[in-house]
Amino acid sequence: MKKVFMIAAMATAVAMAPANAETVKIGYMTTLSGGAGIIGKQMQNAVELALEHKGGKLGGMDAEVIFVDDQRKPDVAKQLANRLVKSDRVDVVAGVIWSNLLMAIHKPVTRADTLLISSNAGPSPIAGEECHENFFSMSWQNDQTPEAMGKYMQDAGIKSVYLMAPNYQAGKDMLSGFKRYYTGEIAGEVYTKLGQSDFQAELSALRAVAPETTMVFQPGGMGINFVKQWKQAGMDGVSKLYQVFTVDGVSLPALKETALGILGTQSWSPDLDNDINKKFVADYKAKFGGYPSFYAAQAYDTIMAVDHAITTSGSKDTDKMRAALAKGNIPTTRGVLKMNSNHFPIQNFYLRDTVLDADGVVTSKVLSTVFTDHADSYAASCKF
Amino acid sequence: MSAIRDFIGLVGDGVKANQTLWLLVFGFALFPIFSYFADLPFWNDVAMRIMLLGMAAMGLNLVLGYGGMVSFGHAAFIGIGAYCVGISQFYGISNGWAHLGFSIVTCGLAGLVIGYLALRTSGIYFIMITLAFAQMLFFLFVSLEAYGGDDGMSVDRGEFGFIDLYDPLRLYFLIWCALALVSLALMFIVRSRFGVTLRAIKSNESRIEAMGLSPLRFKMVGYVISAVICGIAGTLFASWQEYVSPDIMHWTRSGELMIIIILGGLATLAGPLLGAIVFLLLEESLPMLLGAVAPAYAENWMIIFGPLLIMVVLFGRGGLTGIIDRLSGTRGNADHKAGPR
Amino acid sequence: MTLTLILEQAFNGLQAGVTLFLVAAGLTLILGIMDVVFLAHGAQVMIGAYAAAAIAAATGNFYIGLLLAVPVTFASGYLLEFLLIRHLYRRDHMDQVLATFGLILFFNELIRIGFGPAALYSDLPPSLSGFVEILPGTPYPVYRLGVILVGLACAIAIHMFVSRTRIGAMVRAGANNPEMTAALGINIKILFRFIFATGACFAGVAGMMLGPITAVQPGMGEPHLILSLVVIIIGGIGSVRGAFIAAIIVGLVDTLGRVFLPAMLRLVVDQATADGAGPAVASMLVYILMAVVLIFRPTGLFPAKG
Repeated sequence: MKKVFMIAAMATAVAMAPANAETVKIGYMTTLSGGAGIIGKQMQNAVELALEHKGGKLGGMDAEVIFVDDQRKPDVAKQLANRLVKSDRVDVVAGVIWSNLLMAIHKPVTRADTLLISSNAGPSPIAGEECHENFFSMSWQNDQTPEAMGKYMQDAGIKSVYLMAPNYQAGKDMLSGFKRYYTGEIAGEVYTKLGQSDFQAELSALRAVAPETTMVFQPGGMGINFVKQWKQAGMDGVSKLYQVFTVDGVSLPALKETALGILGTQSWSPDLDNDINKKFVADYKAKFGGYPSFYAAQAYDTIMAVDHAITTSGSKDTDKMRAALAKGNIPTTRGVLKMNSNHFPIQNFYLRDTVLDADGVVTSKVLSTVFTDHADSYAASCKF
Repeated sequence: MSAIRDFIGLVGDGVKANQTLWLLVFGFALFPIFSYFADLPFWNDVAMRIMLLGMAAMGLNLVLGYGGMVSFGHAAFIGIGAYCVGISQFYGISNGWAHLGFSIVTCGLAGLVIGYLALRTSGIYFIMITLAFAQMLFFLFVSLEAYGGDDGMSVDRGEFGFIDLYDPLRLYFLIWCALALVSLALMFIVRSRFGVTLRAIKSNESRIEAMGLSPLRFKMVGYVISAVICGIAGTLFASWQEYVSPDIMHWTRSGELMIIIILGGLATLAGPLLGAIVFLLLEESLPMLLGAVAPAYAENWMIIFGPLLIMVVLFGRGGLTGIIDRLSGTRGNADHKAGPR
Repeated sequence: MTLTLILEQAFNGLQAGVTLFLVAAGLTLILGIMDVVFLAHGAQVMIGAYAAAAIAAATGNFYIGLLLAVPVTFASGYLLEFLLIRHLYRRDHMDQVLATFGLILFFNELIRIGFGPAALYSDLPPSLSGFVEILPGTPYPVYRLGVILVGLACAIAIHMFVSRTRIGAMVRAGANNPEMTAALGINIKILFRFIFATGACFAGVAGMMLGPITAVQPGMGEPHLILSLVVIIIGGIGSVRGAFIAAIIVGLVDTLGRVFLPAMLRLVVDQATADGAGPAVASMLVYILMAVVLIFRPTGLFPAKG
């Protein structure tokens, strides 16, 4: 067994040849294997596309990205984060899809004086009391998207809503975010089992209540199940469906026309009208076939942020990059992003419809802007 | 004085009969020197994770390998141990010894209750009832919003008095000490009258009953001891990970522990530790190796890993310790008695 | 909470139950007769769903997909038994756990490489997406009604087969006492292979029926595996009748518990506690049920061996 250990150790030793002073190293952590592998793949594609667009250089320095697969397990993520920081000695750790994984790597990475940039996860402790100056989000705080949904439904004069989310932390966060801006009647609040595949019983119960509207949060495979069953049960005749993170670029290929006409909120959309986004979406479609998801857009933006930080500060030094990022003004697929005091972006949130594009492919389209420059609600409790 | 001499003699006999185990434990003690000179500080982290999972697997092996009770829910005890740290800190108790104490008491009690209820069944029914209890605890912690639900809670490393775990290698050697103590304790337990009876129950329960002993009582004691060992591993796991979440008690983790044991060799002291080393190193290196051969398929490493596990079953009877014994022709794992039938 | 709603939910529970039974039927025989802890049964569900969805996409006809998926799953079960499972019969339960766990990883990865990591598109044809009024004012999806009927038909077929035919008698004898059955000169090898492939086939049927209503993706079978193991344990290993009754009970308890438990708790405790505890207890309900059954009947409700 000693032999095995030595060989494995030597393999890493070779892999980590001494870094050129002019090379910026990014450790990009995402889920590549297992059920969520599709999300990770899209993010990896987007990161590679971003590097290609920048000619392999970020802020003029040679860039090297090390992709690692967290297997969606906190202990694996923690170990990989340590490897990136201690062994590969990266300048930035980025990526991370899941809130619980971000919680697991947050301390070891930020403590090692390495920047940690989230491409997706944004749990409330990290935005609030447990925040750290070395952490930046290139996505959103979990509550923000449902807040936008709540705001829209409130403004649209909707009298009553039936809420449904899986019984786990993100589900509870989503519904409480929604209720922060929606003050009308809650016709029902149902928490489903995490990973549930059949919602027929919940739909029957919903039919009995027959609420004016229904707002769901069912991410990933659960969303595919839910939307399919909603349509099959003829629920459109009973209640109007709104969603957050249920119909997205990852679930659309499995849903196709089934998802048409379902409204949702999001801070990004493939049709956002700015040059960076247009180029990103067009090239992504050309290179990988099919629309990118918001995960991909945020991954792309993460690399844009690193590029911006080095360009403006002229250095890959953690202190300098941090100062540059904290100032905001980051050019992304969502336009120029401002930064809040807790290092979460201040950005617009849009109401999106699910439509067919000119080629007959199902995609999402911006209908209106719900929030302009929306900040999250935890920044006040964040003290560096 | 003679008592001490007897004790040393006992330890010596045990070490002689379990050379592989003590070689491994000794290897872990020296490993930081190697990683320091090879400039691979990150591998200390891997070694800690291996020791922790190995320790938990050693605990499980007491019931699974020696006692023949196939528990599919031992991850629950790791989880309880880890949450003893998280919940204690939530209420402001940061003393690591206190965490360990809570963990031992809580896991002991949980083991007593679950063991009492589950040991009414046997065979596949026992596998499933232990899984059922673990699933209940998993869903319980997922829904405990105060303790972070499934997002989990960040924890600080425990405060072990004068040992500051944030100093380099303190945590490593705390874990190592726990591993060495658990190894020593298990060595005595397995070689004691109790251990011999436990193994006898595995091979023929009615004979033990006929001898006027209560098999249930022996099984219960074994179950509680193994729960406590898993709890200790879980407590240290929380300090290592600086984070606790229900993921630590997911049923796949119970499966992982079983696989580690079978891979290493059932009913051997070295088996679980050896299994943990090989299992986690494979998990670490397979994507890399596959990536070198077929870069496009690096993330599909499980397509190699799965069949590899099947191969171990089909061709590697007695697991890795079995192979070592056969190759070396010695009986370095003499406590290896009951392999697969 | 009207009577019609309770009845409708009972229908939903029944539908969940018969699907569960299809997965559990084969598994209970594999566990009971061959004494193999076969954890990869969920993969058969996945293979059935993928076969149906892929064939339907290729031919453009939903029904051809359903029809051809049956022989595909039978063949995969037959091959699997021939290549691997027969080597596991005389082995320790632990060895079987390890080997079949390896199989799960292998199958999930194989599907992921073959069909990509994303969920496959599959939907109902228009002819099956209508509604029937099962109760006045309660429309119910035709397809789900169809699932109930197919499930019940399969259950009756399995029952008739096991209790009325010669092979069925061997199966019963095998479940009761495998050694003795072999000693009587019955060709156990062929019998085992046949049972295994049939069991895989029924799981495949469950998978292909689930395809249009759930996400067809790698690993989709695992939740069904765990639940069907629960069913088998409650019913008693090796008992098809037990598996059927337990599947219906689990389907009903899970469905009704999920929907009505939070509301019922609200009557006893305050709303906040009920909203927190309700879904949590509902998730645990089937496991609590299994534990309680085992505590009072350590070999399930209808033990086959005796």
